[in-house]
Amino acid sequence: MSKKNYDVTGYIRQRFFPQMWCPGCGHGTVLGSLLRAVKELDLDKNEIVMTSGIGCSSRISGYVDFHSLHTIHGRALAFATGVKLSKPSLTAIVPMGDGDALAIGGNHFIHAARRNIDITAIVMNNRIYGMTGGQFSPLSGPGKRATTAPYSTIDRNFDVVDLSVSAGATFVARSTVYHPQESIDLIKRAIRHKGFSVVEILSQCPTHFGRKNKVGGAVEMLEYYKQRTVKIGSKKLEKDPTLIQRGIFVDNSEVPEYCDAYDLVIEKAMKGKR
Amino acid sequence: MALSFMEGNEAIARGAIAAGCNFFAGYPITPATTVFANMLKMLPPKGGVCIQGEDEIASMGYCIGASMAGKKALTATSGPGISLYSEQISFAIGSEIPMVIVDVQRLGPSTGSATRGADSDIQFLQWGSTSGVPVIVLAPSDALDCYVLTVHAFNFSEKYRCPVFIASNKEIGMTKESVDLDTAVLPPIVNRTFYSGDGFLPFEAEPAAAPPFLPIGGNTLVRQTSSTHGPDGFITIDPEVIAANQQRLRDKILMAEESLTLYEETVREDADTLVISYGVTSRAVEDSCQQLAESGTPVSTLSLKTLWPVPQKLILEKTKAYKKIVVIEMNLGQYIEEIRKVVPSSNLVFYGQMNGLLISPDKIMEVITHG
Ligand SMILES: Cc1ncc(C[n+]2csc(CCOP(=O)(O)OP(=O)(O)O)c2C)c(N)n1
Repeated sequence: MSKKNYDVTGYIRQRFFPQMWCPGCGHGTVLGSLLRAVKELDLDKNEIVMTSGIGCSSRISGYVDFHSLHTIHGRALAFATGVKLSKPSLTAIVPMGDGDALAIGGNHFIHAARRNIDITAIVMNNRIYGMTGGQFSPLSGPGKRATTAPYSTIDRNFDVVDLSVSAGATFVARSTVYHPQESIDLIKRAIRHKGFSVVEILSQCPTHFGRKNKVGGAVEMLEYYKQRTVKIGSKKLEKDPTLIQRGIFVDNSEVPEYCDAYDLVIEKAMKGKR
Repeated sequence: MALSFMEGNEAIARGAIAAGCNFFAGYPITPATTVFANMLKMLPPKGGVCIQGEDEIASMGYCIGASMAGKKALTATSGPGISLYSEQISFAIGSEIPMVIVDVQRLGPSTGSATRGADSDIQFLQWGSTSGVPVIVLAPSDALDCYVLTVHAFNFSEKYRCPVFIASNKEIGMTKESVDLDTAVLPPIVNRTFYSGDGFLPFEAEPAAAPPFLPIGGNTLVRQTSSTHGPDGFITIDPEVIAANQQRLRDKILMAEESLTLYEETVREDADTLVISYGVTSRAVEDSCQQLAESGTPVSTLSLKTLWPVPQKLILEKTKAYKKIVVIEMNLGQYIEEIRKVVPSSNLVFYGQMNGLLISPDKIMEVITHG
């Protein structure tokens, strides 16, 4: 790829760099992939509204030069829904932490998926609460150390992909920060998809998850994503079914999008007067 | 629309439409549900959005998102829903997002009694958000008030860029009465001031005013954040910038006290007693003072329509001429504390009742006469 293609400076608020994430954090890689996806889709800055909640991941909205709503913990999808229903032509992107998306915001997450509203949710899954100092999240899984689990966790974890599929999301994909090219491609597909799209990107928090669980620093954690993930349906799964699959799990354009469906409601209510 | 038989909740919905409301989101709860039901009848046929969220937290989020995109948004709930709105109310206050929130109050605490009225939330509405920023709360006493005050509420929310509450009550919201909305004197409709020019700074404003607005999704990029921010809408830790913004949020409401003050009064010659009340209680007060006047005891009344910011100047001025000030409330004493800050305690008589029943004119007469 040419250098020009990767010049995304027009999409960021340069005065806020360097960003606030810890050395080795995966979230900056997600930002990089997101910006490149937007660039490759040739989207106009004014057409994008990025809504985020609270968390390290949610800080993305402060770095991008789009319309941006940095809201409150767990509720970003609700605000994005209000904006989208008001201005359906906007491209709505919601970056979320795993806690933001699936602990405090779990209810909004499943209902946004069920409604199939045209929003792209990017779940930056570092399996921990980064911002508040390493408490466990619904994605940590059992047997993990966290600030709030000094004796190790007993909570089972969600699977973001399975949950999204069951809740009715019409585009569901997974990648990792070790695979930025793949992430760019999946984010592009998700944004282009008309309906509720979930892209889970496995990210790393060496500061909290890495340190507490003694899985090494950023390099080892990235290495883990390289070793422990495979493309959907890979032959390697036969030998080791515990490998994490990457790729597109659902891509369904048959389900009516929510704003479109609501337009029909209005049409009915207006008895064709529009 | 001539004389009709209408409950307060329908009148609120009609007021919202008259004010130009084009977005409603809510979650069902008695006694507020019929605001939603009436909005459903009126909004979509006009091309507006009227939707049900998965809970109050979501519904409030939709309203805030819609308002940021330029819509005039309304939601309606009761005490338990206001509790769930709380975090977003703070967001709307701090980020200066206009909208109207109807609280059709029921008897609390908690689930309380869904079908029993009370003015349960009078302090809660002011203090149910973080940081102690003043809010605007209007209290209707009948269906006509519901209509008119809703228009005022939208106007105030647009002008001051803040959430505005309507403190209704089950007894007004769900009781049908004869009303002719055509007799209402509505204020001219106010719309938020849009920014024009270059170099938009989303929170740059005059010292005691709201900043001009631009919607999310327009040609100029708009930034919004719940974090402490300066005029540029970026997170800040600069103490001077923080202090100026805190002061402005406070001043824009408190310094507008007089323009926000709405009330009704009946001044009776030779009266040495004034009864202050608000909400549905004002109607029983009016009845009892009418009866007392007929039997030769003139008593004046002051019915407050604006509860917050407390109309201190009005209360001070209107109480001056009276020896005795009687305050009647449909709770065990919430607003009396505000009046006490203005009126000497020795002149005050209070009666509060919170038992699921309306306060009767007989009881009020007894308090006025023997209190
Ligand atoms: C209502 C509320 N509760 C708690 C918090 C504190 N808080 C901020 S971020 C966060 C969790 C962050 O974890 P996650 O969403 O996984 O994102 P990360 O920081 O790991 O990217 C919490 C609990 C808050 N801001 N608001």
